[in-house]
Amino acid sequence: MFESLVKSLLQGQFICEISDESGFVFLQNTDSAQQVDKLLNQLGYRLAKTQNNLAFYASYQEINSQARADIRKIFQQFRIELHPVVEWLDMMMACLNQETALSPGDTLSFSLLLQVIEKNQALADRLLSFAKFKDFSSSDDSVKSRLEKLLGILNKWGYLNLVNRDLLIYQVTGKLDYFYQALQFIQEHEQIPIEQGEEEDVVQGSLF
Amino acid sequence: MNQAGTGLDRLFKALANHYDLISEAYFKGVVYKNKQNERALNQLRQLKVLVKHSEEGYRISGRLSHFIDNALSSDRVRRLDTDLASWIDTLEQQIGLYQDAWSDNRQEDSDNYYAEIERLVFDLSDTLEENTSYLSVLVNSRFANVRTLAEKQKQNTFYISRLEKLVNAISSLQPEFLLEIVEDQQILYDLLEQQLIRLLPVYQQRLQDILDKLKVFLFELRQIEAQAQRVQGFAFFLRQNPAYQPQEWSESDLIPEIWNQIKPLQFQAYADPMDHGIEESLIEIAKKIKTESEALLAKQKKRRLNEVSINQQVKKKLDIPLYRKQLKAYVLFVRRAPGKQVSALAYRQAFVQDVLPEIWLACVLNECLRQKNKAIKMELRSVSHGVAFSGNQKVTDIILTCQV
Repeated sequence: MFESLVKSLLQGQFICEISDESGFVFLQNTDSAQQVDKLLNQLGYRLAKTQNNLAFYASYQEINSQARADIRKIFQQFRIELHPVVEWLDMMMACLNQETALSPGDTLSFSLLLQVIEKNQALADRLLSFAKFKDFSSSDDSVKSRLEKLLGILNKWGYLNLVNRDLLIYQVTGKLDYFYQALQFIQEHEQIPIEQGEEEDVVQGSLF
Repeated sequence: MNQAGTGLDRLFKALANHYDLISEAYFKGVVYKNKQNERALNQLRQLKVLVKHSEEGYRISGRLSHFIDNALSSDRVRRLDTDLASWIDTLEQQIGLYQDAWSDNRQEDSDNYYAEIERLVFDLSDTLEENTSYLSVLVNSRFANVRTLAEKQKQNTFYISRLEKLVNAISSLQPEFLLEIVEDQQILYDLLEQQLIRLLPVYQQRLQDILDKLKVFLFELRQIEAQAQRVQGFAFFLRQNPAYQPQEWSESDLIPEIWNQIKPLQFQAYADPMDHGIEESLIEIAKKIKTESEALLAKQKKRRLNEVSINQQVKKKLDIPLYRKQLKAYVLFVRRAPGKQVSALAYRQAFVQDVLPEIWLACVLNECLRQKNKAIKMELRSVSHGVAFSGNQKVTDIILTCQV
């Protein structure tokens, strides 16, 4: 398990409860995480985790010129993913008729989504509009084919994990926690004008 | 009868069969185990009619006690949903009444007050146990399954208010004070200490766990709200600004930690055929490879594309064939004498030695047709083939003329 876990980290994968439950549990143990970190350090990397501790990944111990070049490539991939992933998250809120955005661990059923989208032309149009993004173009314009393509690419990018091949049930992975973190960073540092609305002040008093 | 019906049937039968034990537990507060009633007491305990009072004794369960109180319109009726703190006041009052009766030597009254105090303590203990464990189960299992944000907020408020009630009840117990006022009555002291005070840390710990969980939920709730707003806001922003791209954060002098992520590595390993330790495994793998597999049948192509060589390539100059040199000379000859008709055969006769007349004519004809040189006019001299309408003609000479 240790061996495959380290390999997965070196292959740039996010280790979360959904993608690799046993690996994630292993890394939650402080001693085990230190053991993995020690090995990564010998290779010039280190173990990192997302803000809510929902996923582990490998990062550079020191950012030298080679690391900088590699990070640039990864960042370019993030730029490619930004528009379609945001659009997907927003569309899923509409599809599932919920006020909350998807979170790691949430499940998506292909047949359920297909049913909802086929009944709603606005959603079908939104699905079709994914074709404007890189990697999403398809010769088949049917809703089914488009949805397959969308979920397939999100699976390939690591935001979804196909947990049931027969029923096509996907589960949102811990990589989404990283994505939200990145989104927050961009919003805060680039002063993206996003209306936050009025947050209710929920006061949690001391009970004891 | 279904399973629930069977269970109810069994319960009613047990209540009817052992009504004497139940009423003894209700009126006396406790019923002790002996050889005759042992089996019946166990059955009633399994059915949650009785609960353990001590090593050898059983008492009536809080819920059944309340039911009987209600059914008999007893003045001991207490509403479960009332503020638990008021129970403590009642408990203190009852202790005072017991102590008065005791000092006045009113034995019967003191027995009644003791039974009341006992019931009150058990009720309180049962309620705290049931409420804390029930709330713990609710918080652990149900909260996460609520889908809408509004419901999550509603549940969070509900749990917090319920938790506050329980905390208030426990806080108002003041164990030291209670034990202090009954320290002269050992029987009361033991009852309070064993059945209530000793269990308080367990309930407090349980409530603390629930509170910790609620704090996490509250934090997550706020994050979920913020995430949803951020996603919707970003989606709106990107629709308004389709050409937007985030800044080149990877080009910053100091790359922010969030973007520090490794480039995926690719691994490839080869088996070592000299390693005898893996020989058997390699043989097994080799056996599994199908001989007709495409990989083995495919012709190995040597790809030379993009091959870079540092050796200088040897250049070889190819000579133009002799007949083409002679043809070139013939055409030049024609060009130098514009308007003059030059016979191919006459030219051959004069300047070309090594080529047969038929071949020479074929070469001249081919060259003139291929080059399509408009400046040089070609005229064929031919004779009839002898066969009518064959479409063939026999060329006896070609006359080239350079047009002026």
